[in-house]
Amino acid sequence: MASKNGIDRQDEDEVCPVCKSSRYLNPNMRFLINPECYHKMCESCVDRIFSSGPASCPVAGCRKTLRKNRFRQQTFEDIGVEREVDIRRRVMHILNRREEEFDSKRAYDDFLEQREEIIANLVCRTDVAKTEAQLQAYAQENMQSIKANQLLEEQEATSFQKKILMEQEEARLRQQMAREEYENERREQQATREDFLTRLASGSAVDAAALAREGNKVHLKKSSARRSEEERIRQKQAALRGSEGKRTGTPLTTADTAGAVAGAGFIKGLRKIKTPEPEKPYDPFMGLVPGKRDYYTQLESYPYAFLDKLRADTTVQAGGYALQEYYSRTLLEAFAGLGCFVQEEVAERDATSALGLSKPASTAGAAMAAVGEKAA
Amino acid sequence: MALSPFGSRSPAVTVASPNSALRLKAAAAAPQNASASTSTIIRSDLNPERELAEQLNDDIRRKYVKGKKLGEGTYAIVYLGNYRDDPSSLVAIKKIKVNAEYKDGLTMDAIREVKYLQELSHRNIIALHDVFSSKDQNLNLVLEFLPGGDLEMLIKDGDIHYGAADIKAWMGMLARGVWFCHENFVLHRDIKPNNLLIGADGEVKLADFGLARSFADPYLNMTHQVITRWYRPPELLFGARQYSGAVDVWSMGMVFAELLLRVPLLAGMSDLDQITKICEAFGTPTEENWPGVTQLPNYVTDKVVPLQGRDFFLRQFPTAGPVGADLLMSMCVLDPRKRATALQVLQHRWWTTEPRPTNNEDLPRKSGTKKMGNDLARVGGETDEGLFKNAARQLDFGGKK
Repeated sequence: MASKNGIDRQDEDEVCPVCKSSRYLNPNMRFLINPECYHKMCESCVDRIFSSGPASCPVAGCRKTLRKNRFRQQTFEDIGVEREVDIRRRVMHILNRREEEFDSKRAYDDFLEQREEIIANLVCRTDVAKTEAQLQAYAQENMQSIKANQLLEEQEATSFQKKILMEQEEARLRQQMAREEYENERREQQATREDFLTRLASGSAVDAAALAREGNKVHLKKSSARRSEEERIRQKQAALRGSEGKRTGTPLTTADTAGAVAGAGFIKGLRKIKTPEPEKPYDPFMGLVPGKRDYYTQLESYPYAFLDKLRADTTVQAGGYALQEYYSRTLLEAFAGLGCFVQEEVAERDATSALGLSKPASTAGAAMAAVGEKAA
Repeated sequence: MALSPFGSRSPAVTVASPNSALRLKAAAAAPQNASASTSTIIRSDLNPERELAEQLNDDIRRKYVKGKKLGEGTYAIVYLGNYRDDPSSLVAIKKIKVNAEYKDGLTMDAIREVKYLQELSHRNIIALHDVFSSKDQNLNLVLEFLPGGDLEMLIKDGDIHYGAADIKAWMGMLARGVWFCHENFVLHRDIKPNNLLIGADGEVKLADFGLARSFADPYLNMTHQVITRWYRPPELLFGARQYSGAVDVWSMGMVFAELLLRVPLLAGMSDLDQITKICEAFGTPTEENWPGVTQLPNYVTDKVVPLQGRDFFLRQFPTAGPVGADLLMSMCVLDPRKRATALQVLQHRWWTTEPRPTNNEDLPRKSGTKKMGNDLARVGGETDEGLFKNAARQLDFGGKK
C-alpha cells in the first residue's frame, strides 16, 4: 500500500512535521515536497495552507514562498539526492549540447566537465547567483538550439522505444513460427505413418520392407522441401525487414543548430556552424553583361544610300533581315580589339604556360580577349 | 562583352586547297607556339626543306594521342583522345573524312566548323582546342570531350524523368549558347536536341557548327536549305534568302516544346508538310500577321487557320507553367521580326520565376553515364585490375619511426 504512493517506508510512526499527525492515525497519509526548499509535509497540510494561493513555508525558519502546483511526491528517500537529481535534470535540460556539435572529443569532454561543475556549484550552493545568471543567459541565447536538441532527444527516445517493441514483436513471431513448424512436422509424420499402416494392412507381406523404405523417403523429401520453402520465405521477410529498417531507421540528422554561435563564449570548442550561403538569384546570362559597348552607342538608323534599296525591300524584311543587326555588327567589328595588346597577352600566356598551366589555345585566346576588354 | 580577338577577321576566307587551309591555321597558331620556337629553329636547321607550317602542325599533332573510335558521322569520324603529357585530360578528335565531292579541298562543313568554333569561346559552346592535319592530309579537329550524350537521348529515354526545373536549366544553357553566337554574329542554323551535347558536369553545349555562318551582311543571299526540317522556321520554308538570328530562336522554341512534350512538336514528312503542320499548330501566315510574307519565293497557303492565342500554349504546354508558355509563344511567333531575339529570350521573366533551374550536378543524366563518369574520374594510367584489387590497403609502418 505504501509503495503504491511511491514511499517505500513502512514507518508506522511517521509524523508530519507541520501538523504532527502520524501515519498510525491516518494510514493514507502522503508526504509531498516542494523543490524550493524540500521541506516535507503531508498532503492535507499542502491543501490547507496553499489552496488559497502562494504562501510561505510553514517550517520554522524557512521563509520560502511556495506554490501548490509545485508540490510533488518524493522519489528518493534522501532529500539531498532528490535535490541533486532535480538540479541535474534542470541543468542538463539547458546544457543539452551533443557530441557531434563539438570540434573534438576533447572539447566535448571539457563541456561535460563544465556542466558537472555547474551542477556541483548549484548542489553545494557555491556561487549560486553567478552560476544561475550564467545558465539563464545561456538558455536565453541558445533557445533555438536547446529546443532542437530536446526534440532530437525525444525523437531518439521514441525511436528507441519503437525499436525495442519491434524486436519483441519479432521474437514473438519467431517463436510462434517455430511452434507452428514443429506442429506441422509432427502432424505430417503422423499422417505418413498412418498411410503406411493402411497400405501395409491392405498389401501383401512381400513388399512391406519396400513400402517402409519408400514411405521414409517420401517423408524425408517432403520435409526437406517444406524446410527449404520456409527458409526461402524467411529470407524474403528478412530482406524486406532490412530494407524497411533502412528506410525508417534513417539516422537522425543533427539538429539545425542555427543560433548556436552566440553560445560560443560560454561553451568552448563548438563546431562552427556553416549557415548555407543563400542561393544567388538565377542569372540567365551567367555573368556576361548583354549589350555593353565601351566605345560607342548605336543609333536607330544611319543614312547611307547603299542601304536605301534594302530599306525599301519588303521581301528582305519579311525574311527577318534587320539593318540594325548590320549596324551593330559593323560597329562592333570596327571597335573590336581596341584595348587588346597582343604582345602583353602573349607574354602573359607564356608565363602561365611555363608554369605548366597549358590551356587550350582558343579558350586562352578568348579569355585573354575578355581580360583585355575589362582592362580597357 | 567577351569577344574573341579573331572576331574581326575578314569573313571572306576562301580556301583553294587543304594545304593552304592548314597553312592558314598554322599561321594563326604561330604566336601560340612561340615558346616551342627554339626547338623548331633547331629542327629547321637540321631539315631545311621542311616548311615551317608543317613543323607547327607536327607540334600540335604530337600534343595529342588518338584513342578508340567514339562514333562515325556522314562526314567525320570521332575518336577519343587525350593530351600526350596528361592522359587524364580527354578530348574528342574529329577526323574529317576526305570527301569525294570535294577532291580538291575541304568540305564546307569542316571549314565552317573551324572558322566559327575558333572564334567562339563560351561555356555553352563546344570548345575547339586545336586543329591539325594527319597523314593523307586529313583534317583533325580537337574538340572538347562531352561524355554526357545529347539532349535527344534524354528526351527519348523513357526511364529518365525530368521536370520543369530541369527543362529550365537546359533551356537556359541552350539560350546562353545561342545568344553568345548571335552576339558575335554567328548563326548556328542546325539547332536540334541531337546537336546539344552534355558535358561531364551536366552543362549543355552547342555543337556541330557545320552549317554555321555569319549574318547581317546586306545584299548577301543565304541559303534557305538549312536547319533540320522539324526545327526549320517558316521564313526558311518559304524560301527567304535574307534572314536573321530569329531562325535559331524558332529552332530553340521547337527544342523547348520537344523537351516539354518529349516528342517533336512539328514532325513534317516533307517541306510542304512542315508548312502545313506549322499552320495547323500556330496559324496561317498572312499579310496581316506577317507583312510581306506573300512576296517570299515559296509562299503557299491552302486554308487559313486563325492565329493561336495564348490559351493554346497554356493548354498545350501545362508543364511549362503560364510564364513558360508565354516564353514559348514568343519564340514561336511566325513573323521573324516579331519573334523574340535570343537576348529577349534570356531577359524573359520565366528564368526568375519558380521553379529555380536545377543545378547542373542534379540534372538527370543518361543511363550508363556512370561508367563514363568513372572513366573520367580515374587518374590516367591507373587501372582497377590489380592482383589485390579487393584487398584492404596494407598498413604502412615505414612512416612510423
